[in-house]
Amino acid sequence: MKRAKYNILIMAALAILLGSCEKSYLDTVPTDQVSSESAFTTTTNAMQALNGIHRMMFQQHNSRQDQSGEGGINIYRDMMGEDLVCTAAGNGWHNNVYKWLDHRNIQSTADYAPWYLYYRFTANANMIINNIDNAVGPEAEKNIIKGQALVYRAWSHFNLVQLYAKRYVKGAQNTQLGVPLMLTNNIDGQPRNTVEEVYAQVLTDLDEAIVLLQDYNRANKSHMNAAVAKGIKARVALAKQDYVNAAAWAADARAGLPLMSTAQYTTGFNDYTNPEWMWGSHVIPDQTTYFYSFFAYMSRNFSSTNIRGNPKAINSLLYDNPIFTDTDVRKANFDPTGQHATLNPPLPSNFTRFPYTNQKFLAAGGADSRGDVVYMRVAEMYLIEAEAYARMGGHDDEALAALNTLREARETVPGNYVPSINTGQDLIDEIMLNRRLELWGEGFRFTDLKRLDQALDRTGANHQINLCVEMTIPAGDTRWQWLIPKQEMDANPEMVQNEL
Amino acid sequence: MKKILMIFVLVLTTTIIVFGQAVQISGIVTSQEDGLGIPGVSVTVKGTTIGVLTAADGAYSLSVPPGSNTLVFSFIGMKKTEVEIQGRTRIDVVLQPDLIAMDEVVVIGYGTARRGSYTGSAAQIESKKIETRPITDVSQAIEGTNPGIQVTSASGQPGSGQSIRIRGFGSVSASNDPLYIVDGVPYALSISNLNPNDIESISILKDAASSAIYGNRAANGVVLITTKRGSRDRTSIQFTVSQGLSTRSIPEYERVSPLDYYQLMWESHYFSQVYASTPVDPAIAAQNATNGLIKNIGYNITTVADNAIVGTDGKLNTSAKILGDYAKDLNWQDPIMRTGHRGDYGITFNGGTDKSDYYVSIGYLNDKGYVLKSDYERYTGRVNINTQPRKWIRTGLNISGTMTESNVASQGGTAYVNPFFFTRNMGPIYPVYQHNPSTGEYLIDPVTNDWLFDLGNVPGLPVRPGGASVGRHVVAETLWNDDLYKRNVLGARTYVDIFFLKDFKFTINLSSDVNAYNGGSFENKTVGDGAPAGRGDRVNTLTTIYNINQLLNYSKTFGVQSVELLLGHESYDYTYNYLRGFRQGLIVDGNTELINFTTTNSLTSYTDKYRSEGYFSRLNYNFGEKYFFSASFRRDGSSSFYKDNRWGNFWSVSAAWRLDAEDFIKAMPWIDMAKLRASYGETGNDSGIGYYAWQALYNLGRNNADEPGFQQASLSNIDLTWESNNSVDVALEFGLFKRITGSLEFYHRISSNLLFSVPLPSSSGLTSISRNVGTMYNQGIEFRLGVDAVKRGDFNWNIDVNMSTVKNEITKLPQEEIIQGTKKLMVGHSIYDFWLRDWYGVDPSDGSALYDADVKDFATQESNLRIVNGTDTVTISHNNAKYHYAGTSIPDLMGGITNTFTYKGISLSVLSTFQLGGQIYDGSYASLMHSGTYGTAQHVDILKRWQKPGDITDVPRLDNKQTSVFGAQSDRFLVSASYFSIRSVTLSYNLPVNLTQSIGVNNARVWLSGENLLLLNARKGLDPQYSFAGTTNHVYTPSRIITAGISVTL
Repeated sequence: MKRAKYNILIMAALAILLGSCEKSYLDTVPTDQVSSESAFTTTTNAMQALNGIHRMMFQQHNSRQDQSGEGGINIYRDMMGEDLVCTAAGNGWHNNVYKWLDHRNIQSTADYAPWYLYYRFTANANMIINNIDNAVGPEAEKNIIKGQALVYRAWSHFNLVQLYAKRYVKGAQNTQLGVPLMLTNNIDGQPRNTVEEVYAQVLTDLDEAIVLLQDYNRANKSHMNAAVAKGIKARVALAKQDYVNAAAWAADARAGLPLMSTAQYTTGFNDYTNPEWMWGSHVIPDQTTYFYSFFAYMSRNFSSTNIRGNPKAINSLLYDNPIFTDTDVRKANFDPTGQHATLNPPLPSNFTRFPYTNQKFLAAGGADSRGDVVYMRVAEMYLIEAEAYARMGGHDDEALAALNTLREARETVPGNYVPSINTGQDLIDEIMLNRRLELWGEGFRFTDLKRLDQALDRTGANHQINLCVEMTIPAGDTRWQWLIPKQEMDANPEMVQNEL
Repeated sequence: MKKILMIFVLVLTTTIIVFGQAVQISGIVTSQEDGLGIPGVSVTVKGTTIGVLTAADGAYSLSVPPGSNTLVFSFIGMKKTEVEIQGRTRIDVVLQPDLIAMDEVVVIGYGTARRGSYTGSAAQIESKKIETRPITDVSQAIEGTNPGIQVTSASGQPGSGQSIRIRGFGSVSASNDPLYIVDGVPYALSISNLNPNDIESISILKDAASSAIYGNRAANGVVLITTKRGSRDRTSIQFTVSQGLSTRSIPEYERVSPLDYYQLMWESHYFSQVYASTPVDPAIAAQNATNGLIKNIGYNITTVADNAIVGTDGKLNTSAKILGDYAKDLNWQDPIMRTGHRGDYGITFNGGTDKSDYYVSIGYLNDKGYVLKSDYERYTGRVNINTQPRKWIRTGLNISGTMTESNVASQGGTAYVNPFFFTRNMGPIYPVYQHNPSTGEYLIDPVTNDWLFDLGNVPGLPVRPGGASVGRHVVAETLWNDDLYKRNVLGARTYVDIFFLKDFKFTINLSSDVNAYNGGSFENKTVGDGAPAGRGDRVNTLTTIYNINQLLNYSKTFGVQSVELLLGHESYDYTYNYLRGFRQGLIVDGNTELINFTTTNSLTSYTDKYRSEGYFSRLNYNFGEKYFFSASFRRDGSSSFYKDNRWGNFWSVSAAWRLDAEDFIKAMPWIDMAKLRASYGETGNDSGIGYYAWQALYNLGRNNADEPGFQQASLSNIDLTWESNNSVDVALEFGLFKRITGSLEFYHRISSNLLFSVPLPSSSGLTSISRNVGTMYNQGIEFRLGVDAVKRGDFNWNIDVNMSTVKNEITKLPQEEIIQGTKKLMVGHSIYDFWLRDWYGVDPSDGSALYDADVKDFATQESNLRIVNGTDTVTISHNNAKYHYAGTSIPDLMGGITNTFTYKGISLSVLSTFQLGGQIYDGSYASLMHSGTYGTAQHVDILKRWQKPGDITDVPRLDNKQTSVFGAQSDRFLVSASYFSIRSVTLSYNLPVNLTQSIGVNNARVWLSGENLLLLNARKGLDPQYSFAGTTNHVYTPSRIITAGISVTL
């Protein structure tokens, strides 16, 4: 008996020891994530890291309804111009952007949104740029992946410097503070580079990308090919007031690409297979973006509280400008009566009516906020070309050629448009009016005013003072610079705030 | 517990010898505390081994040999009582509770201890403190009972518990929650799965000596919950029923009236023009404000014209009255509130034979909260069986099942569907239902004959502005949406004890907990985020937890010395499966299952796994019941860390000295008991930072249309490791004058290698990274005093007071400062020190908000700087304001007071809690103090606003354009966190035993109780206990519950 009990003691001791688990017992891995290492083992995987960036263009960020990637930022950029008109306070979204308050409030989420978004693009692009060379796979695939990552990095820095720094002044040193150039995945706070340095790096990245992408025949327009890189390069040159290069690169970018038909023009700007689109995102059902879709704020037909209460209108002075013919298809995308009789299905009764509201953007349905989001069109290239030639001086003919091509394409009744013969400032004015009407709602107006050092002037049109508060902002005002958001200021000791 | 244990010990160790042919004495032993019979009392004849135990109703019968003089009645927790027989054959005895209770058994990690010899710091809450309170989640039983424990308020949502902090705050980014152990096993599920009526005791382990045996997860203290088990030699059935009514306990903030509101909004528009960067002429501005008033805020519910409500002088038209039925329809809280009802029903069967015992319980709870569509329905069942068929083997099974169904009210944050946000901030001029704008009469739906909800943008009716949640309607959305869950939980614990070689015991404990959760929400297609399609959401999760431990116990007594040794191994496996589907496009009304929708918005699933493993040991040594020593050690591994850093060693040493066993104390008879104890040790923490924080990862599921994609999520950090807590504890426990007991305790707890989510510059593309950075300490004094203030005959008044302090200070950080929301972490400050803009006041000249300026370059900032009072440089730009440390949310002193009055079978118990010192950032108040957002309600304090040059006030002018500038977060919105509350009052009555027995009932009790009866604090509407960080939110404020109950034991 006693012996049996000793056996029990030994067994108990053994049970404790043998109860120990296998060595791998404590190794666990997530199922909804993959390791960064495996993300770059092959070019196939690296392509998925690139697709992740494409998705960032239209996904929700920071759990905020108004942060639908690039579309969301485009709304901010137009809200701060004079062409997009809020018809009512609606349910509050964008009110403080429209009033020029949010981007000057370091704690506002709108001030933070572009900073976060473009640096998130940059970080994901850098992961690719700095790891792709070691991935296993064909050289051609590496070029495609790295080339697009470079375009994203350039485009992100370009967007950041336009918002958060003082404008680029042609012929000046441009030593004013820009934004930090992030070329590696660095988590230590970096100081701001100069505006000149940022623009130089942007062009370096784009040039490298254009070489890498030269043979790339993309599967769809959510990917960027050499034409997109060239188009961005044209935008950069325009922002630098480098009109010679702007005209050349815009022409190069659009080479061989058509303008859309007038019938296609009124179908809602929601389909990236449109022949004129150069770059856009395609949104499928299980990636719907509900209330954080671009179309949840900018379309006429999606039944969100925001659109029912605050449908977006066009500046009445712009719309009614006599240079546009009544048969210009672009005017058909707005209704000065606000009734939208041409919409099918018709506007439901609980949608508030206001004059000059747009039907340029149409969501997939009243209950479905989906729609492809446009980032670059051939028309913009014509407009860059026209503007650059006109501002260059001595090249009005080339400018007129580009302008008239676009205008004729937008005319629904052939012959109704008499080709322009304007010159000098008149020609520039005509081009700019066309640019405003053509690109309404596509996110260009704030940066256009800023690059041209022009004042904001909302007076005389259908803006309501109680909604926009700021009717005019002088050129060169400190408010043209967005403030560096608090999150960056708090975590980055190297960061310097803009003038308050 | 103590009653059961005593029986248990006696059954196992005592040989009861009964002689025949003697006098038979019988009687009933009852408790002085509650008048109930006490089972298991040892009744012995003095000087002999003759004795017997009392039965379930406290009755005994004993044959006493001739010549015996005295009977001795003893029971753990009661004073040993000797009674002269004096020839009687019936002797009824009332036992007094023994305040000193040095033999009381305390549940500790992997075992039990006697209070008198225990070397650690453990507080215990007995079942009787829980039974009569309408508590659904037993965490609510802890508040105010013991020092060193801080809790947040319980949400009014039925089924909610309270967050608990033991001895300060041990972590910044990782978890600060204590480890919950239920019947010996870590419990990762909701404590509300436990039926409070099944709880025997709750032990709270506060110091390293008591908690280090739990090593890796013990850093924030341990809460041990033990469920009831059966008593041998006893069979009883108990029925319990209670019924309660619940209402809101904390009132709403005081807000301005409709007519005042018109005037305020007029001013907001007026001043926004007058003080615009391009100022408008005051006369024109006034005309604009008068004419534009209704344009800005939408609704004219007065008897005068739109442009006649407020004149160009800014004054309210004295003939303006509220029109028609509008006056009855401006309170948005009434339609979503009701008087809640709480019904709690239970049956327990309890009994056993000499070798086995059983406890069976069935419970049903139905708690409907005071807000519509918030309720909690719970079925619980538990079977606990133990048996010892042979002397060397004992085994048992404790299985429990819980089924819960609950409707959940949206709360927290500024979602439109959150009724607490919506109703609080809705301007006072907006009606719930549609009215005829010209008569004010209710509009009637011609089909249903009901009133119609006014969504604020109904064609033909006025439009609410954005500040009044246009297009949304919380009453309609609450009624038409669903947010509910079902939760089925099954838990099983089993063990085998093998006793061998006289001094050894080997135990294997196996347990599993399974939690199946099915959550569903539906958003209607008429109003809200679901409109116009309707959306349905289903979340299914399955949590599976296995825990195995093997324990080897050795205990031996050598003369006056005794030794206990424990060796053990434990492994823990946690798996969480998550599946969610989200669809829109409702097909048929009334069915919210996913198949009844047209389009899939989201469909995803994942599995998380966490594992840990540990080896541990404990040695206890006792010399002559005078000197006690204990040491413990545990080596733990966690799957949350990289393989080279995942193992940690945790340990403790402790000692106690019973001074009262020394002759020099024995010479002072007024000292009943005195014990000194001290401990030191190290514990760890790995929870709350995610399961894979060390790994560099990409998030899956970021596809670009149908092309697969992923995105960067985190950076690698293989150095990540345990957060460790080193704590020292010194205490004196005492009993004096037979009526005072108490303890004075000091602790100092250092948390190092803090697991930290360090904010990164956003320019890095990431927002934070987990790191082990920094060190901080918590230290405090805990004091407890129990006094029998009055003991006169049957009347007893006991006061139990506990108080504690906590000081938290950061001593090391990797970077100079880390700013998080309203707090800034810096060496020398606590984790809850407010870092806010320094509010200066209001400029009497123009009513601008002034902040102390952060002057760096005067020239470039000049446009927003002002010099006031001759010397102070202030700014009118909140972006340029200087931040400063502005107090802390940690109180100077907190505590609880329990007053208990007993008279015969009547008992009245009052639990109060209080907190002195500390600050709260009242964001809810700040949201009502805005400077004129059209449509949003305002606090009555806004009436003190600046109105004309020369006004001296602390409330800036109303100016629609300046709301974010004037209303920016600053120390202006700090308010004192001090409070006094009457948390719980219970009046109970035990029917006299002889009365109940005459109707065949062992005992019967009735009671009346109230929760959250009184709160005194700095501001009406403020919940001072919403969060440890001293913030407020738009939440379901705690319920005031009045309950009546009865329990009958057969």
